[in-house]
Amino acid sequence: MTRALVVDSYTVADVDSVVAKARRGDPSALEALYRAFEVPVYNLARRICRTVEDAEDVLQETFLEVARSIRTYRGDGSLWGWIRAIASSKALMKLRRNKYRDTDELHEEVTAHRRDDHLLRMDLEAALDRLPDVSRAVVWLHDVEGYTHAEIADMMGKTTSFSKSQLARAHVRLRRWLGEEVKA
Amino acid sequence: MSRPASTAPHLTMDRLLAVMEPASEPGHAAARAHLEGCAHCQSELDRLHQRTARLRALPALKPERDRWPDVRRHVAARQLRRRLVWGSVGGVALAASVAVIVLLRPAPLEMEAVHDPQAEIEAAMLQSQLLERALAEYAPERRVTDGYTAGVVAELEDRISALDEELQIFEPTPSSAASNDLLRLWRERVGLMDALVDVHVTRASHVGL
Repeated sequence: MTRALVVDSYTVADVDSVVAKARRGDPSALEALYRAFEVPVYNLARRICRTVEDAEDVLQETFLEVARSIRTYRGDGSLWGWIRAIASSKALMKLRRNKYRDTDELHEEVTAHRRDDHLLRMDLEAALDRLPDVSRAVVWLHDVEGYTHAEIADMMGKTTSFSKSQLARAHVRLRRWLGEEVKA
Repeated sequence: MSRPASTAPHLTMDRLLAVMEPASEPGHAAARAHLEGCAHCQSELDRLHQRTARLRALPALKPERDRWPDVRRHVAARQLRRRLVWGSVGGVALAASVAVIVLLRPAPLEMEAVHDPQAEIEAAMLQSQLLERALAEYAPERRVTDGYTAGVVAELEDRISALDEELQIFEPTPSSAASNDLLRLWRERVGLMDALVDVHVTRASHVGL
């Protein structure tokens, strides 16, 4: 079960009516859904994917899926929760498809020239961006979107332990890169 | 007898994160007890809370360009496809007769001498519909997919959508060149649909669905 960390603040006027019209394939209703959720979907995609192009692809694929599957939305959860699950799945699929660097070893190779910069304080955006792709996805899905480890594991086809360890390792790195280590 | 918090090892990151989880996990109580007496770990936990809060407060990134026109085009193309599948071109009897033709001709759309382009186009359209129906009955959206298959499927679907857009805007003229162009598009569509069905079915046999 998803914790209610993200407020369902993305509103569509008369949501039931819009969803009903979207189910019939009404383009104006589909556009209303797109306009209402475009930014949160893109933001999630951009935080998970490495490039702007991939995030834009995820945005498009998400709303194509919304248009295709809106008949299956029963209204028993929040609309944003339903759309967000589609967007998360598409973004993770994009990660897998593009075979982004997703192992720590490779990531360390890629960033080896920056190993000595631990004394530099990075801002949070830069530190997040520097994380390996899978770690960054776990951080975003867990800490920001509010998914549980079990849900993340399910979406990624991994174990709960994998999700937990990715999160812990990511936070160790973020702590170091942000200069937030507590002096013993 | 447990050691005082001041001499016990500090909590690791995964234990600090576990403390933040809403559901109690094994070792939760011991970690909490340690935090009560360890200023270092309490400070780490505070910073972890702050870092998480700052992550949530990052500004929302917005797309630089409007993708709605692309989405709308794809949705329209899909709706057209659906109409073609379930709609007007042929009745059940006609579809069945084409099915017989398809079965009797393993590669019916291999380029031969085209005697009647219009008939060839209609045959290709119906073959495309049959493949769409076969795929719809297979219900791939309800099946598990691996990343590689998903990538191939997505690419094929993108190409089919692009082709449908071309078909949608195609303006037929009485010329034979236009008929041949239309025939080429429909043949290409059949080939892509055939590949799509093939990918789904092959994937299913691999995972035993």
